[in-house]
Formats: sequence, C-alpha cells, structure tokens
Amino acid sequence: MAAPGPGEYFSVGSQVSCLTCLGQRLQGEVVAFDYQSKMLTLKCASSSGKPNLYDVVLINLAYVSEVEIISDRTETPPPLASLNVGKLANRARMEKEDKLSQAYAISAGVSLEGQQLFQTIHKTIKDCKWQEKNIIVMDDVVISPPYQVDNCKGKEGSALSHVRKIVEKHFRDVESQKSVQRSQAQQTQKDSALSS
Amino acid sequence: MSMKQAGGNRKPGGGGSGPAAASGAGGGGGAGGRQNLGRGRNSVKGPSSIAFNGVYANMRMVHVLTSVVGTKCELKVKNGVVYEGVFKTYGPECDLVLDAAHRRCLEQGMGPRREDIVESIIFKASDVVVVQFRDVDLNYARKVSSDADNFTDAAVSARLNGEHKEKDLEPWDGGDQHGSDSLESLDTDVSNGWDPNEMFKFNEETYGVKSTYDSSMSSYTVPLERDNSEEFLKREARATQLAEEIESSASYRARVALENDARTEEEKYTAVVRSERDTHSLGSRENKYIPPGQRNKEGMSWGTGRQNSPRLVQSSPSVPSSRPGPHDYSPSSGTDQRVVNGGPPRMSPKTQRTPRTHRMPSARGGMPPGPEFMAHSGDVSTTPPPRSSPSGGTWSSVVSGAHRPRSPRQNGLGGAPGGSSPQTATAPVDPVATPVSAMSPTAASPASNRAATPLTEAKESRVQEPRTASPVANKENVKPAEVSPGPARALSKGPPAMASEHRKQIDNLKEFSQVFRLQPSSSPDSSVFDQMSKPRDQGEKPKELPPDRGAESCGTTAPEAPANEEKASGPTPTAGGTTGSKPSSPGASGPCITAEQKRGPDVTSQAVQTSGPSGKLDGKEVKDDKKDPVPEQVRKSTLNPNAKEFNPRVFCPQPKPATTPTPPRPQGQPSPSIVVPQPPTVYSQTVCFPQMYPLTPVSPGVQKSIIWKPPAMYHVPMPHMTVSQTKPYRAVPSMPQQRPDQHHPQGTPTMMHPATAAGPPIVAPSPAYSAQYFTCSPQQFTSQPLVQQMPHYQSQAQHVFSPVMQGSARMMAPPAHGQPSLVSSSTTQYGEQTHTMYVSPGPMPQPYSHPGAALHPQPSATPTGQQQQQGQHAGSHPAPSPVQHAQHQAAQALHMGNPSQQQMYSALAPTPPSINPGPNPQSPQASFPSAQQAVYIHAQQVQHGYTPSHMAHVPQAHMQSGMVPSHHTTPSHPPMMLMATQPPGGPQPPLPQSALPPIPVSSTAHFSYMAHPPVQPHHQQQL
Repeated sequence: MAAPGPGEYFSVGSQVSCLTCLGQRLQGEVVAFDYQSKMLTLKCASSSGKPNLYDVVLINLAYVSEVEIISDRTETPPPLASLNVGKLANRARMEKEDKLSQAYAISAGVSLEGQQLFQTIHKTIKDCKWQEKNIIVMDDVVISPPYQVDNCKGKEGSALSHVRKIVEKHFRDVESQKSVQRSQAQQTQKDSALSS
Repeated sequence: MSMKQAGGNRKPGGGGSGPAAASGAGGGGGAGGRQNLGRGRNSVKGPSSIAFNGVYANMRMVHVLTSVVGTKCELKVKNGVVYEGVFKTYGPECDLVLDAAHRRCLEQGMGPRREDIVESIIFKASDVVVVQFRDVDLNYARKVSSDADNFTDAAVSARLNGEHKEKDLEPWDGGDQHGSDSLESLDTDVSNGWDPNEMFKFNEETYGVKSTYDSSMSSYTVPLERDNSEEFLKREARATQLAEEIESSASYRARVALENDARTEEEKYTAVVRSERDTHSLGSRENKYIPPGQRNKEGMSWGTGRQNSPRLVQSSPSVPSSRPGPHDYSPSSGTDQRVVNGGPPRMSPKTQRTPRTHRMPSARGGMPPGPEFMAHSGDVSTTPPPRSSPSGGTWSSVVSGAHRPRSPRQNGLGGAPGGSSPQTATAPVDPVATPVSAMSPTAASPASNRAATPLTEAKESRVQEPRTASPVANKENVKPAEVSPGPARALSKGPPAMASEHRKQIDNLKEFSQVFRLQPSSSPDSSVFDQMSKPRDQGEKPKELPPDRGAESCGTTAPEAPANEEKASGPTPTAGGTTGSKPSSPGASGPCITAEQKRGPDVTSQAVQTSGPSGKLDGKEVKDDKKDPVPEQVRKSTLNPNAKEFNPRVFCPQPKPATTPTPPRPQGQPSPSIVVPQPPTVYSQTVCFPQMYPLTPVSPGVQKSIIWKPPAMYHVPMPHMTVSQTKPYRAVPSMPQQRPDQHHPQGTPTMMHPATAAGPPIVAPSPAYSAQYFTCSPQQFTSQPLVQQMPHYQSQAQHVFSPVMQGSARMMAPPAHGQPSLVSSSTTQYGEQTHTMYVSPGPMPQPYSHPGAALHPQPSATPTGQQQQQGQHAGSHPAPSPVQHAQHQAAQALHMGNPSQQQMYSALAPTPPSINPGPNPQSPQASFPSAQQAVYIHAQQVQHGYTPSHMAHVPQAHMQSGMVPSHHTTPSHPPMMLMATQPPGGPQPPLPQSALPPIPVSSTAHFSYMAHPPVQPHHQQQL
C-alpha cells in the first residue's frame, strides 16, 4: 500500500484496484476510506449481476498490495442519505434468525438440495420454516424429502400449485446452473490449458 | 454481542481483552494489528467523550458500514480463514461484529450446522483482511427523503421533533401580478356553486334521476291557509309580534350571531391577518359563497365581519391610533381589550374563542389585543372606542347583572325579582342576557344592529347615551386627577357612605357622575385625559360607543351605576374638588339614583326609553329578569332591549370591527354555558365600570392612584374603559347636558357605563370602582362575617372577574378549591381578600408579579378559560385552602396579596357556581364578594400594569386594580353591596381601615375597598 495522505488518496468515487495478501484481486469504486484504521470500502458490481445491488468490500489496506487508482474522481461525492437504523437493526435480527433456523434444519440432517430449495422458496415466500426435515410453506404446503415437485403436498389450491411452480423452477435452475458450471469448468480448464 | 459489549470488553482489558475476544470468537484473531492498539487505547479512553473516535469520525465510512448492517458477509482474516455471518455492527477501531457467524467449511453449498454457529464474533480490524458483503441494497435503509415525500404529514411532523410551536402565519404575497391569476379568479368568482336546478338537470340528463323536490315541502308540512278573517289576522299579528320579540331578544341574537357569524371559519381560526392592502380582497369575499345561514345577515354582517376580521382590524387606521394611545395606555388598553375580549369568550361557553384569543395574542404579540382584540381592535380601528364598546358591552352586561342584584336589595327588592336568592338567580341570568345584549350590540355590525333595530327611539337613546357616556368618561377622566388629591377623603367618605346606606352612596355616586361629567369637560388633563385625548381623536366614534355602553350599562346596570355613582360621588367630591363635586354631581346623580332606584323594571324601562342601548340592555336584562322575577318588566324591557340592540349596533358601526367580533363572542358566551354563573360575573364587570366612575370620584386621592393603576391592571376592562372614556370625554361636554335631561335616569347609569366603556374610564372607572368598592366593601365586609357570604363574595368576585377578566370560568373552577377553605375561614379569607386587594394596589411591583396570576385569568376568556384561569390561580397560588393561603398570603405581603386574591378567587370560584344562586340569597356575602372581586381585579390590574411596564402604567395598574375591584363590586357586588353592605354596617369598619391605608395611594384605595377591618390589617402588612 502506498502511503498516501489521508485526504489525498482514495477520494470517494475513485476506481481502485488492489491485491490482498491472500491473493484476491479486488476492484471497485471507493465509497469510504479511513486512514487511521486503513480500512477502504469499495463498491463493486453485484456478483450476482443484479443491477440495483452491489457488493461492498471492506479492505484492510494493511494486508493489501498493488493498490492502483484506476480513475480518480474530483467531484464532490453526493451527500449521504440518512439511514433508518431501526430498519437495519431489524434486518440484522431477521437475518440472524433465518440463519439460525436454517442451521437447525441442517443440523437435523437436511440434504443440500433441501437446503437450497428452502433458500429458494424463502426468497419468494417468507412464511416458510423447517419442521424436522420437512419444509412447511405457509402452514399449508408440506415439502418432504427428497423435495421434488411430487413431494409437495397440501390442500389443493393456489398455494399448492404456486409452491409447486417454485419447486419446479428451482430444480430447473439448479440443473441449468450445474450445466453452466460444468461448461465454465470446462472453459477454465481449456483456458488453463491454453495459457499453460 | 453488540458493539457496546465489544467496546466494553476492550475497555476493561485495555489492549488485552480485545484480542482475547477475537481469538475466542474466531480463533483467527491472532495478534493482529498492534497498530491499532495505540488508537484503541485512546479510543478506550475516549468512549466517554462525545467526540467521535476512529472510524466513527469518518462520516462516509460510518455511512457505508451502517448501510450494510444486517447483511450477510464473508470475512477473511489474516490466516485465510473465512467467516460468514450477519454483519451486526462495528466499533470505533473498525472492529467488526458478526452475528450468527460460522467458519466457512470447504464443503460448498452446505449450510452451517447449528453447532457451528457462534452467537457473535468480534473481529479486530487488525485481523481482518477483507470483508465482502454480497448483493447489498445500499438504499435499503435509506430514509425516503425524496421531494415527493417532503410534504407528507409524516415528513412535516417529523421535522417538528416534538416542538409544537404555533407557527406564525404569514400572509402569502403573490407579488403584484393580479387579474388573470387563478387565485384572483377564485376570489372574484361570484358563482355560488351549483344551482340546484342545474344539479337536478344534470342528474336527470346524466343519470336519468328525476328529483322529486317540492319547494312547498308538502311532504313534510301543511301549507298555511290564509284568509282575511279577524282571527287569522289576529294570530298573524300575534305571531309577528312574538317573532319580533324573540328575534329581538338578546339571547336569540346571541345564538344567531354564533351561527351566522359573518366571519368564516378560516377568518376566525386560521386566516392570516392581512394588511390593508389585502383588505380590499375582503370585499371580494362578499361575492363568495355564503352559507345559507349567513345570507340574510350578509348585508349587515359584512361590515361587522370585516371589522371582526383581523385583517380589517389591522387595516383600520384607528387601530394604530389606539396603539399610540395605548403606549401609555396601550398596554393597558391592549390588555384591557384582551380582557374584554377574553371576558366575553370566557363568558361564552365556547372555549374555542378563548383559544383563539390566546393564540392570537401570542402570535400577533404586537397587536395589543389578542385575536379577539385584533378583531375588536379592527372594529375599533378606533381601538379605544371599539375596545370600550366591547368592554362597554360586557360592562353593560355586568351592570345589568349588578342592577338586578341591587335592584332586589336596593330597590327594595320589591321591584326586583323577589327574595335575595331570586335576585341572585336573576342576576346571573341577567348577566347572561346582558352580556349577550351588550356583546351583540358591539358584536353585531352596525348595519346589522341597525337593521335589527329599526326603532328610532333606540337610535335617539343611543345618541343620548353616547353623550351621557362621554360625560361620564370625562368625569372619569377628571376623577382620576381629582381622585389622586383626596383619596383618603374618598376612602373615608366612601366607606362611611357605604356603611350608611347604599342609597346614599348611590346618590353620591350620581352626584359624582354629574360632577365627573362636569369635571371631565373641565379637566381632561390627567394622564388619563391624555390617553383619552388619543381616543378623542378617534374620538367621536369612541364617544358614541361609550354612550352606547354607557347607556347599556346605565340601563342594565342602573342599580350598579347608582351604586357606583354613589360611591363615586363620595370620591368624586373629593377628587373633583372634593368640595363641589358632590354638589354638582347631585343633579346627575339624582337621575342616576332615580334610575337606580327604579332599577327593577323601572330602570329597565327608563333605560329603554332614554337610550336605545341601555334600553336594549335593559330589555335583555329585563327579559332575563322577567323570566326570573318579573315578566311584566321583561316585556317592557323587551321593547327597550330592541332599542338597545339597535343602539349598540349603531354604535358598533363605528367600532364595528371590534364590536362585530366581540358581539358574537359575547353573545355566544353569555348564551351558552355561562348563562347563570357567568352573567353575574359579567355584570359585576360591567358594574365595575360604572362603579369605576363613581370610584374615581370617590377615591380621588387614593383611589385615583389605585384606580389608574387598576385600569392598567384591568387591562381588559381598562382598555374598554379607556376607550369609552376617551370617547366619553369628548362627548362629555355635549353629553352632560343631554344626560341631565334625557339620560339622567339612565344617564347616570349610562354615565357609568360610558366611563367603563371609555378608556378615560380608567380614571373615572377607578373612582367609580373605588366608590363602589368602598360601598361594596363595607357591605361586603359586614357580610363577610358570614361564612357563606365569603363564598358568595368569592363567587361574585369570580363572576366579576370572568366578565372583566374572563375570570368567570376561573371563578367557576376556583370555587371548588376556594370554597372549602373559604368556608372554613370565611373571616380570614375576607381579611385576606381585602389584603390581597390592598396588596395589589399598594405594591405595584407585587401586582406585577401577580399580574401573571391575573393574566391567567384573562387568558381564559371562555368559561373553560375561566376555569383554567381559576385553576391557574389555584395552581400558581396553590390556594388549596383559600383560608390558609389567604391568611398566609396576607401576611406574606403584597405578593402574597395577589396570591391571596387568586386564592380568594379560587375559593370564591368554587362557591360562585353554586353561589350564583346562593350568592344572591346571601346578598351580604355578595357584597363581600364584590370586595373580593376588587381584589382580584387588582391582581389583574397589576398584571395589566406590568404589561405596560411603564411607571405610568403602574399607576394605571393601581388605578385599574382599583377599577377592577370596583368593577367587580359594581357588577355583581354592587347589587350585593346594596343588599348586604348596607345591613352589615361593615362599611364603617372599613372606613377606619381606609384611614389606615393612607400610606400608599393604592393602599388607600384598597382601604376604601377594604373597608373591612381585616383589610386594614392586611393593608398594614402589605404596607
């Protein structure tokens, strides 16, 4: 890391690239930099590709090398919006609970597929929970291992059909993902081969 | 673990605990950033300090880190281990806390097992290499602050942060562009909404709905079959007559006024006061939609409405003038007006009015009067006159009340309603009616009044009344000056007179009134005069108003007026030249006396005949009375009442702005809740004014000083007084002559009223008050002995206050508080009361301090307001036990005196409600109450005086205080006094006391008021 003056380097909005001591290359827009703690915060494009989301990276410059300022920004950064702390705290609590509840399920021996399915459903329907190894959606639909579309049971209705659609799509996506991963893996192998 | 916890750990450990925690949590936290240690220590030390340390000082870092709170993150430590958890918080050292964190396993996709998850882990910044927050919505917690949301109720209220401060409304200024503007078009749009037929047609065409509306309402009623039979004509005539009677009744008018207030809701409550420039827009309003109920009145009321409207007030030139006057007076006048306004509001059941007034005052601040005042002042534009007129109205009402009470007692009760109790009852009623009437006159726009009262007689009477009033005012003015010279005399004289007989006093008062009139013309020099002069400028109007007021007061308060006059006469002689005032006054007093004597029905009739205003008042009162005691009288009065109403209105026109506004309030006030209890108060107030006149004469020396001060104190009354007085003064010259002739009977009363109404009144009023007080006080004192009387006194006092000060409500409320104590220590209370009275006068400073208390009363214009005031008094003065307080307070001193007064109020207040009925029965007590009232008044006056803050004011305040008492006494008390005072013989003792008072002028005045022995002690203490 260079030894820039507190205010001279990493002006907010600048594009910075750096390499951590663990060999991780990070690049993004400077959001904040604390000179004393040598903490740099970058805002990067979302790893999931979602347009309105970002990946925020907090970097300890003490363990970073090759800091480069790709582009500097001289404009004064936009003002900071006030934050709803209560909302944030609530989010933290919810996230924690979700993680713990999921951990319980995992502890119960739920398969990876089951966990992934649960995650997927949870994204759409918050009202879902683990009951032993069964996923209970909206207290109506029960998805038991191996968590296939046929395993969705409950009163016939829109809820059941909706859940089935989700499950169906989930596995379709999983399949497509696997194929992509495979192709990517192959690609990387080829690349490595080429490079080598 | 929370941040705090983390911080706590670090703090204790200095540098060690931190690592321990980190290692414990993640195991990866080796001995990382020692670099931070230094800072860490510093920060550790710093935590207590408010200054932000470390990262906390970095706004952007704080912002971004806070934005990602609650998101899942992957945290890599130096040794390459990755932890996953929910980002919980961070420390000043940029230590990070992850909740539900677990060490990520190599196995992909597999979630952590329950046993792998750690509640929370604190990572020291020095151990952290990289933290990744994936898929974060940085706007998640961003508070919506878009422009679109800046003006939602929530957004707006959020900025208040609990500070509910009434915003000062500012008139919108769209610049000079006019005409085509849509805003302008709204004002000029004459269309009155959809025409019914248009609506029917639209519905028929659009929806196929046919209206079955039949204008004959045949479905609901039967058409009247007209024929020419004698029977039918008779009935028709009868119906017409009844309708006229009803429509001319004060109560009716008051109620109608409430409903048909020309002012719109906006104007009343939320309109921004606009300057003259904007006033013209008001005119355009005439074309605006007019609620059906208001359409009839529109024509007439518009003027009033405008006047009422704050805008108008501001625009009105008179206001400015009034202000100037007020400067000297202004404080007092302003306050007075407020009081007056407040009084009516208080009087009226409507609390809203009071609130308005409060708000208005606070917001406007600059404007002398509160919101009401503003409106009034607007009317007043002739400030003084308007004020006076309003006050006059109240006064008149008060007077009427007083008269009734007195009439029973004084008149021989024969004419009056019957027993003492009846009287009391009647008095209350009358007060209500009178207030209403008075209010209505003032309130009602001139036009409306005129329209309402076609009676030429009324007009004539009005004219006469004004004249008479002016004389009174003059007299009053003169009185002040004169009063100062021979307070002691007045006191001495007054008390004895009081003791001797009310009649005598009345006679004296009459004489005084006459004298006063003479004096006024001759000597307007006194400061009051100066003030008056200002009014004079505006003069004529004021004069007219005063007359009306005077007439009203005379008519209604004839009894009171007489009493006042009598009292005044005592003082006036002294004041006016001690020597000849009495002699001179006799002529005037004679009439007054006669009127007073007649008080019962006769008085009313006289008032009616002589002066429209007075007649009206009388009529109204009479009506009330009739209901209670004598129907016949009422009938007579009804005729007169009409005339009076007309007169008031006529007068009002000049003061229209003020009057119109006030009238509604007054009317409303009287009619609603107050009716019984409040009226008395009102009367007392009005009476006070009349009394004031007498008082001024009576207590020229002492009283004058006191009185003058009292005016200030009275602020509310004073303003009116001053205003009216000013007018009266001017008028006086001419008036006197008329008075003697036509007005004499009423004239004296009228005189009294004018004085009360007019600004000059301050002086005059004070004399009158003093006189009244004297008279009253003696009586009261005598009556005081009676425990019951005490309560009555209190109640009366309260009533008085309410009218004048708006304290009626207070009075009401206080009663409960005060009564207990009062009852227990009636005597003590009396003494206290007297003391308080004295105190206020004597200790100008104290009055100031007390003023607050007094002010409180004022604020509460409406009943509720009054109650509040009472409550305030009680609260401020903790007069839980009036007796104790009174005693203690008395001992304490002047300051105490005020408190005691308040206490007294409170004590009285309790009884008052009940008292209204009871007080009268206890006539003696009632008289006492008057004394108490005076005391209260003093307090108020004091406050007023304070408001002026000028030395002159102080004196005025004293005067006012004196005035106030007188008012109190006069209104409710006078009657009481007459009844009780005479019998007790207490007055005499007071006289001796009065002798003691010599020390301060005010004290003397007090003494006069005090009349009661207890008072003397108090005085001494105070002194």
